[in-house]
Amino acid sequence: MLQNKWMRTITAVGLTGAVLVLMIIFFFLPKQEYSEKENRYLATFPEWNWTDVRSGEYMGDVTDYLSDHFPFRDFFMGLKTDAEMAMGKQEINEVYIAEDDYLIEAYQTPANTERIVETLKNFYEKLDTEKLEVNLMLVPTASYVHADKLPQFAPSLSQMETAEIIYEQTGIPAIDCSDRLLEQADTDRLFYKTDHHWTTYGAYQGYLEYCEVKGLTPVALEDLSAETVTTEFYGTIYSKVNDYSRKGDEITIYTNPTDDLTVRYIDTEETSDSLYNMEYLEKKDKYSMFLDNLHTLIEITNENAESEDVLVLIKDSYANSMVPFLTTHYQKIYVFDTRYYKQGPSKFIDEHPEVTDVLLLYNMNTLDTDTGIRGIY
Amino acid sequence: MVFSSIPFLFFFLPLCMILYYAVPFSKKKFSLKNGILLIFSLVFYAWGEPRYIKLIIFATLVDYINGLLMERFGNTKGKRTFFLCCSITVNLLVLCFYKYADFLVNSINGIFDISLPTLGVKLPVGISFFTFQTMSYIIDLYRGETKAEHNYFDYLTYVSMFPQLVAGPIVRFADINAELHKRTITFAAFENGLFRFMQGLFKKVLIANQIGALWEELRVLEAAEISVVAAWIGALAFTLQLYFDFSAYSDMAIGMGEMLGFHFNENFNYPLSSVSVTDFWRRWHISLSTWFRDYIYIPLGGNRVGVPRHLLNMFIVWFLTGLWHGASWNFVLWGLYYGVLLALEKYVWGKKLAKLPSICQHLYAILIVVFGFVIFTFENAGEMASYISSMFAAAGNPFFTADCLWYVGNYGVVLLVACILAFPVYPWLKKKIQFLGNGAGNALSVVSMLGYVALFAMTVACLVSDTYNPFLYFRF
Repeated sequence: MLQNKWMRTITAVGLTGAVLVLMIIFFFLPKQEYSEKENRYLATFPEWNWTDVRSGEYMGDVTDYLSDHFPFRDFFMGLKTDAEMAMGKQEINEVYIAEDDYLIEAYQTPANTERIVETLKNFYEKLDTEKLEVNLMLVPTASYVHADKLPQFAPSLSQMETAEIIYEQTGIPAIDCSDRLLEQADTDRLFYKTDHHWTTYGAYQGYLEYCEVKGLTPVALEDLSAETVTTEFYGTIYSKVNDYSRKGDEITIYTNPTDDLTVRYIDTEETSDSLYNMEYLEKKDKYSMFLDNLHTLIEITNENAESEDVLVLIKDSYANSMVPFLTTHYQKIYVFDTRYYKQGPSKFIDEHPEVTDVLLLYNMNTLDTDTGIRGIY
Repeated sequence: MVFSSIPFLFFFLPLCMILYYAVPFSKKKFSLKNGILLIFSLVFYAWGEPRYIKLIIFATLVDYINGLLMERFGNTKGKRTFFLCCSITVNLLVLCFYKYADFLVNSINGIFDISLPTLGVKLPVGISFFTFQTMSYIIDLYRGETKAEHNYFDYLTYVSMFPQLVAGPIVRFADINAELHKRTITFAAFENGLFRFMQGLFKKVLIANQIGALWEELRVLEAAEISVVAAWIGALAFTLQLYFDFSAYSDMAIGMGEMLGFHFNENFNYPLSSVSVTDFWRRWHISLSTWFRDYIYIPLGGNRVGVPRHLLNMFIVWFLTGLWHGASWNFVLWGLYYGVLLALEKYVWGKKLAKLPSICQHLYAILIVVFGFVIFTFENAGEMASYISSMFAAAGNPFFTADCLWYVGNYGVVLLVACILAFPVYPWLKKKIQFLGNGAGNALSVVSMLGYVALFAMTVACLVSDTYNPFLYFRF
């Protein structure tokens, strides 16, 4: 039994040593300020302050600091995911490990449908619908379109039932692209496998539906110039799951060669001739290349537009990949992010009589959880 | 601060241990090791509850002073009783004010249909544990079962000692008095303590937390839609979560105590492997049930009285046991549920039960325990009723739906491991291995030691992941 005893001692010393080594590494490791993977600034060491100590806030901040800068965080998070998957878990951090290498965010029971209906209705009733063509487009996410790829027995709620309720109760004319997406589901080109957004091809399907409802002639995909700008897009869902064996997604962007664009970001007063900001391709959140990520208000002018119509687009990030298709049809598009645009787009519409169309575009998953929609009215 | 967290494991505990081992034991009046332990314990408590550090100092001072007075002036039983009452009254007032005041106000409001304002007192962490510890000191002193503590800092060290401060076991002064003043610290004890601590840590992080996630998923399902099987899986999950969580804390406390040179009594003895309710309460939270037995049940006369009086004694003890667990009626109900079942076992079916095949006895006990924890977990009566109705298909619930397979698929492995480990399989295996002879024994010890390393890495992975907080700002 002597060897047994030795084994025990070696392990005890080893475990103690591991704890001490990790502690020492922590103190000597240079501290990262920002975590690209998590898209947030990491905690900093709090300043000594007696009030904060008494309230406990100081200790909370120290705890955050110690946790945020723990050595080998990425390794440990990957280890947890590997172990969970080995034990047969098919849902990690509310993401389903779906078939064909898809990671698909679970759709949570909607909790705010009533409030959303009320907000949208108020907004819609204020508009002069004789002059304006208003539409609401609620886009299903991958958990609806690729329901057959979800793990067996995974609970899945129908997003479009909620969408129907919203269409009906707000009275806003609907543009429902869900069937078109379902028809194309087999192509596997509609959604990114590691991100919660639809691809540009998925957005093109949405655009086709939009044109059909609005009586516009869509531009054929072949007439656009396509460019694959990256094959290493690791999106938001990838960051949630931490399964490092996954492959990155491709991003293909489309440009209409006949467009002559001026893109003005009102909040930063920057101007560009492209809808894409290629600088984001060097970073982690490559989806932000579409319309330069977040802006309260963007004005897109197309000198070669087929009409003089002016569109107000109130939207979430799903719309960012659909805008490149819409530019052909509108002389001007005003793109609002209601989370940050505080004055309310209805006032803007009142003050701009040249506006002819209004489109509200949201995806079903974030429609419910995001509070930005309140800013619409 | 919780034991199963990065700051505790990698900063607080190692720093405490290094300093603790570095200083010599004794200085004339006050042991330096106790000093280190005291400082770290107070920091530990203040970390989460800076406001209540004064409360713990106040409560201990009261008992300490009454103890001294009792020793100095307690030459008659009357005087001793007086100091005892002073101390107990203050302790109970503190406990009632901080834990039960709002509960009392709400109950009175409910009964008389009035609306007295609530006080909004935040419950100090560990108050139920440390008030019971201080009371054990003064009662034991009154009974002459222990000597008065002369050094306040040693007394405060005993009460505030961080391994057992917030979640037990309830360590009695009489059990620890000797070690408080003189203890030997050996590497073998450190080693034992470390492994015990690790076992607790693994139980908490790798089993209790994981099964807790399953329970969280199940408890929020619509009561009318959840299937009977899923409702029972949920109740079982909560039972396992609570057992592994609570006993893990005791394991960690006992382990750390051993590393520091203390020996705390065992608090759990595989309660889910009980064969009766009586058996369950000998195995579950032993330090609490013996506390109630020694300080309330036996002084009331225990079972050496007539049947009606015995039933009354049981009622009192189980009412209080229930109430101790929380300031809400469901805990009282849970306590009384056990009181009734214990009385029934004592007077009605206990002997018949013992004659049944053991599998039936286990099944009987586990069903009662699992059902009991459903009462325990729902503070809201409406939610409790609707969950119980789902368990018995009272709302026309389906017996089984495909959902169950989803939960079993996701959590099957950890549920199975938990069910196995809830029985004394581990000590049984250890014993078997000893008989295997050196070769196989050594091979297995290599395996189990590698297991410790792997499980520790997994535990760190889980703790780190808990702090992972992706703020996905472009999902708007």
